Amino acid sequence: MAALVRISSVCNRGVSPLLFRSSFLIRPLALQKKDRDCPYLISANIHATPSNYAGSGSKAASLHWTGERILSVALLGLAPIAYCYPGPAVDYSLAAALTLHGHWGLGQVVTDYVHGDFKIKMANAGLFLLSTVTFAGLCYFNYHDVGICKAVALLWSK
Amino acid sequence: MALLLRTVARQGLCSSRSQFGVLYRHAVPMGTTAKEEMNKFWAKNTRLKRPLSPHISIYQWSVPMAMSISHRGTGIGLSSGISAFALAALVLPESYPYYLDLIHSMTFGPHFLAFSKFALAFPVVYHTFNGIRHLAWDLGKGFKIPQVYRSGYTVLALTVLTSIGLAAM
Repeated sequence: MAALVRISSVCNRGVSPLLFRSSFLIRPLALQKKDRDCPYLISANIHATPSNYAGSGSKAASLHWTGERILSVALLGLAPIAYCYPGPAVDYSLAAALTLHGHWGLGQVVTDYVHGDFKIKMANAGLFLLSTVTFAGLCYFNYHDVGICKAVALLWSK
Repeated sequence: MALLLRTVARQGLCSSRSQFGVLYRHAVPMGTTAKEEMNKFWAKNTRLKRPLSPHISIYQWSVPMAMSISHRGTGIGLSSGISAFALAALVLPESYPYYLDLIHSMTFGPHFLAFSKFALAFPVVYHTFNGIRHLAWDLGKGFKIPQVYRSGYTVLALTVLTSIGLAAM
């Protein structure tokens, strides 16, 4: 009983809405005066994941996020390795890591600034094309030319 | 506080729609997704040709804000540079050392070279150090406002020093 009273007093100060602020998209409606036992509760429209989704939801977005972070750490580690042990293995690893990190990064930029289903599709297609050409070009450079590590070394030597 | 409310809800003192696991009684799920709502917003406002309220043109810039967009800007710039380099590798007929010698024959002086190295290194170094700052945030560390500013200034100082060091190599 004491707990109920305590909650009522807290809710009357309008604390409840704050608790859900970060979780749901809330459009608070008028206070339901007729609730005798829960006078403080506000009806709200929410975007809730339906219970039939629970457990069968895709973890793709979450895994993508984690993959992005792992790749960033890997790229961070590649830099000193490239300095100390330049060579074809590092060259191709660098080509792959740089291209993918850039591809995913630009993908986030597209997600942030491009709106509308068709435009999003077009922007992502263009990005995919750019990343493919970039990777192809870097691999070509690694194979037929001096390679990324040597290129940086030569650039800095003068 | 939330813990208290959760406990109470579980004890059924407030009859909630438990299938949604929410704490208040009249939780009504909306028929549309958040994405649909956002699209509706943009569609309606562009159709009515409403002007956009000034936002970034009037909001006072802060160091964290500027560093955040700079992180994005350097990322885009570096990515474009890499793509341009890859494209050039595919398209240009001669080899890399040839073009490098070509550029060196046009050099304007030793200071120009040092400055170019600094200008090249700066975005890479900034993006790298600020990237580490981002990774720390991803681990949940350093979100207090004083910490944000401190880590920000540290990144800026390290960037300048490291870029100078690299340009001197």
